[in-house]
Amino acid sequence: MNNSLLWYTTRGAGAVSLVLLSAVVVLGILSVLRIQSTTWPRFLTAGLHRNLALMTLVFLTLHIVTAVVDPFTHLGWLAAVLPFSSYYRTFWLGLGTIAFELMLAIVLTSLVRGLIGQAAWRMVHWLTYAAWPFAVLHGIGTGSDAGSAWLFTLQALCVIAVVVAVGYRFLTGSHDPLADARSSFQDAVDRREPR
Amino acid sequence: MSAPQLLAGPDPSRGSERRSEHVARLGPLPKGGHALIELLVRTGLTGRGGAGFPVGLKWRAVAAASHGSAVVIANGAEGEPHSRKDRLLMASRPHLILDGAMLAAASVHAKQVVLCIGEEHHAALRSMSGALAERSEHERRMVRIVAAPPRYVAGESSATVHLVDAGIATPTTTPPSPRDRGVGGAATLVQNVETLAHVAIIARTGMATDTVLITVAGGVRTPGVLEVNVGTPLGDAVQLAGGASEPVRAVLVGGYFGQWVEPSSAWSLPLDTQALRARGLSLGCGVIGLVPASRCAVCEVAGIMRYLASESSAQCGPCFFGLRALADACTRIAERGTDPGDLQRLQRWSAEVHGRGACKHPDGVVMFLQSAMKTFGDDFAHHPPHLRRSA
Repeated sequence: MNNSLLWYTTRGAGAVSLVLLSAVVVLGILSVLRIQSTTWPRFLTAGLHRNLALMTLVFLTLHIVTAVVDPFTHLGWLAAVLPFSSYYRTFWLGLGTIAFELMLAIVLTSLVRGLIGQAAWRMVHWLTYAAWPFAVLHGIGTGSDAGSAWLFTLQALCVIAVVVAVGYRFLTGSHDPLADARSSFQDAVDRREPR
Repeated sequence: MSAPQLLAGPDPSRGSERRSEHVARLGPLPKGGHALIELLVRTGLTGRGGAGFPVGLKWRAVAAASHGSAVVIANGAEGEPHSRKDRLLMASRPHLILDGAMLAAASVHAKQVVLCIGEEHHAALRSMSGALAERSEHERRMVRIVAAPPRYVAGESSATVHLVDAGIATPTTTPPSPRDRGVGGAATLVQNVETLAHVAIIARTGMATDTVLITVAGGVRTPGVLEVNVGTPLGDAVQLAGGASEPVRAVLVGGYFGQWVEPSSAWSLPLDTQALRARGLSLGCGVIGLVPASRCAVCEVAGIMRYLASESSAQCGPCFFGLRALADACTRIAERGTDPGDLQRLQRWSAEVHGRGACKHPDGVVMFLQSAMKTFGDDFAHHPPHLRRSA
């Protein structure tokens, strides 16, 4: 296997993961904000959010596997699972490990949302707000492309997109029409004895 | 039509049959148990609530998971808007249903039986509670009545379990299926009341019943409930309901989660679960709905879509938002005329919604819409703008 090909793949997949992850975060926020139109109802946003999240995990796996198997880096599998255990840029790479594990938790809990319940799923989903900054910092501090103009531009665009979306959510609040409809339906079919 | 089996005896319109009359007519209640389950497997009885699942196999599964503490829910919620057969049966033959429920309890080793009855089915509620008062003390202690809210999804099996358990009639995620983990975590048999009535006959005769209850609705002279032989041509059933009151545009076979059929092929359809399934159709809950040619098919479909979207319990985003978007697109076509973009969106969004709910509500609605767009393809493609909603 061509070692430089592995290294290029690691870097490329890392950059793609950052863009995808940022898009997933923005779509998630758009979904909460019920941004929609006649031709683009909200459930499509949610579907795209889900599919892109799964795709992010694919690119992240590629990013991690190619980095670990690259004989030149000598990272070892432990660095991929245990944060801050790598000899190479211990701190910055550790942030990436944490971000990956948080994302894994977010995706896995989403896949079994029906089993663990809405409340637990929601708690874990809030970890997005930790995973995304860790991923961004990891990209800023690690790798051959850190500080390069093209990666910096990409990172800046991702940060602006997410910050604008988060700021917008913060300003408009998170009124959830699904939750409203759910509670009014539940009231209509609630036959518990009044206590 | 040969002799009725469920509705044999006094005229059903005379109301609840007394226990003495019921026993004099049919004899005492035989014993439930393993042999009855095997008899039900052999007779091939299928559920009459809509899904048409083989009854014997379901009882076997619940008996296997029971550990002596299963629960039986006799489902008479009947939330399907045009269906009347369950409430008629409950109002006229309560002891047949109670017999079936007791046989089920004995066969799957259940300690509790819950009669889940739509709260607006007043005659059915009176009849069933009156009949329960006539039963033995042991039975009265085992059986209780729970009134179900009048909503479309309230009769879904996981929703009846949730109603009995928590008092809230919303569907829950399956798996686990109620038959593995239902009321209080116990294996639970949810069975439609008509199905249980069939069991009460089969247990006595040792032979399959060969009738089915249907509700003929819409453009017929005397809409209502009929007991017809399995395999009766649909057109004969319509004749028994007085015949079509005006020229027919299409027939909805099996209720809202059924399929639309052109009259040319509808009249010869045999009313038989297996035969309909072989044609890609379903008898569902037994509703046969006739839409007159004088009505606008697209407007009818749009009206039903709005109703079904409003019946989403809003627990899953794709169901709540997706069905609303589909209903809105249908309504736009009905009110403003055909728009190619909306037609495309109906197809694309149907695929996006299908399979994305915790229960099967969105899937059923999408299948209803797909069937409508196939049968009324021309109407959808060339619909003129209407000044106001007709549905």
